[in-house]
Amino acid sequence: MNITLPQWNRGLIFAAAVIVLLIVLPVIGLPLNWVLYLFLFFLYLAMANMWNLLAGYSGLISLCQAAFIGLAGYTLVILSWMGIPFYVGIIGGAIVAAIFALLISIPVFRLSGIYFAIGTLVVPEALRIIFLLWRPVGGGQEGLAGGGAGYVLKGATGVSMTELYWFALIIAVASVVFMRIILRSKLGLGLAAIRDNDSTAASSGVNVFRLKLSAFVIGALITGLAGAIFYIYQSYIEPISAFNIRWTMTLILATVIGGMRTEEGPIIGTIVVVILHFLLARYAGISLLIQGLILVIVMLVVPQGIMGYLRQFQVYRSLLQFVTRR
Amino acid sequence: MTWDIFTDLSAPIVMGLLLGGLYALIALGLSLVFGVMKLINVAHGDLVVLGSYLAYAAMTLLGFDPILSLVMGIPVLFLIGYGIQKFLMQRAFGISMEAPLLIAFGISLVIQNFAQIIWSPMSRGLNPSYAMETFNLGVIHLPVVYLLDFIAAIIVMLALREFLKRTYLGKAINAASQDNRAAQLMGINTERTYAFAFGIAMAITAIAGVFLGLTFPFTPQSGISFLVIAFGVVILGGLGNILGTFIGGMILGLAQTLGAYFFGAATQMLWVFLLVFILLAVRPQGIFGR
Repeated sequence: MNITLPQWNRGLIFAAAVIVLLIVLPVIGLPLNWVLYLFLFFLYLAMANMWNLLAGYSGLISLCQAAFIGLAGYTLVILSWMGIPFYVGIIGGAIVAAIFALLISIPVFRLSGIYFAIGTLVVPEALRIIFLLWRPVGGGQEGLAGGGAGYVLKGATGVSMTELYWFALIIAVASVVFMRIILRSKLGLGLAAIRDNDSTAASSGVNVFRLKLSAFVIGALITGLAGAIFYIYQSYIEPISAFNIRWTMTLILATVIGGMRTEEGPIIGTIVVVILHFLLARYAGISLLIQGLILVIVMLVVPQGIMGYLRQFQVYRSLLQFVTRR
Repeated sequence: MTWDIFTDLSAPIVMGLLLGGLYALIALGLSLVFGVMKLINVAHGDLVVLGSYLAYAAMTLLGFDPILSLVMGIPVLFLIGYGIQKFLMQRAFGISMEAPLLIAFGISLVIQNFAQIIWSPMSRGLNPSYAMETFNLGVIHLPVVYLLDFIAAIIVMLALREFLKRTYLGKAINAASQDNRAAQLMGINTERTYAFAFGIAMAITAIAGVFLGLTFPFTPQSGISFLVIAFGVVILGGLGNILGTFIGGMILGLAQTLGAYFFGAATQMLWVFLLVFILLAVRPQGIFGR
């Protein structure tokens, strides 16, 4: 058998070392709150990577990521009510999110640019109303916050925080590796061509519709996976927070701060967002205001994000060269 | 709102048509900004609700009548609009395609959270004495505010049309929206014109906000619903088509009142969203559009 091994440069060794460290951290006694920070970091990273794939690389400014997260969460919780184990629920949630993406792609893919953004903005709003009206299973507990379909995850005690941490880590690493592969594949090239000019791409033989659809469905799938894992941790779901615009806001913020259209951007941006998240936890009342302001300021002052900004400097470029040299 | 007092279908139909006036009013500001700057202001709904809150503040703190409070509300929102265009959007246009959209999204969140801090997440409403009164139209009784919505919409639309047609600034806005470069060559300061256009759109939004507050209760999170409605009206009516905007508003108003009539008040917004979504899918360029 002839397997081409990945070429071991310093960057890859460094990445592997970081991943190993992250795997063992909860076992060697990292404080629980730090495990939680990292857990959220992994989930947001996976989601932000997918938003970067859609908005940064495919020109699809999707404002309906919350729909995928909420639907995956609901699928997980409802399956748990039917006595189905979590791992099946996670996969089931991701699949439901992907199928939903496929369904709404029929109308929203007729829209382009800003129309697409508005079309997708409507989706989580409509879902929230539906889930406020409709109880998919059981009478549920009356009087729970959120009215409508508020559900507690059944048998939530079965999974430890460390296991969830590893699940989240796997998804985050997978999403980073996946982005690396996809951007160097034919799909990535095609997406870049579409983003730059879709009619030129189409006339050069790129199947615009299919490529965009693949990106959209893949984005929904992985966002759904991360969303389902989040709801195992949360172990409770209700429509108002599940389909909340805050989800989308967090992902946009992470991507824009780090740098859209850069691979490293979402990683750096998500670190900033998670730190912000916990710094602002004490001021929950004004956190959205501050995040909104940061979004506006970053967009105006450093629209290319932290990574895009750093790339302009020779020092950073030589550092990068040093790290990746074999 | 109690729907069960109306056993007749004519009531929801008339109400829907009158409500169309309110929706057209809400959509007018979005349509103006969209038409002139080619920007879909995703903060529009939140700005409308901000208008409602300003009237609420004037009413509760100073005892002003909501409609009279527009004396303050219009200048305040005009300045906000002027500032957004001058200091934020003007620069954003030069950055990238998605920059104005994301900045508007940021503004929307800031306004939402701001309203929540100042006025709490609770549902509020503008309830002067006349808000509860009804008038008779044949056999049906309708709230007076619905009629006020309709009248206000007609007045604002006629005023806007005359303004765009007759004044220098109106003509400049028209020219800048048709061809920015040519307008500049004719000696129009297009940057300033844009800022004024945004300001005027927001002044109309202030009016829409007051009538919205008289008609429906609102929360800091209401903005998105009204953005979707406004957007639906613009799609239905086509850009710069005042009659189309009015008809578009009426269609959405009917979707809401008939949806509420047949399926219960809790579902009413769902039908509006669904209609907008289908419209987007079928004819994104608008029914009455080019």
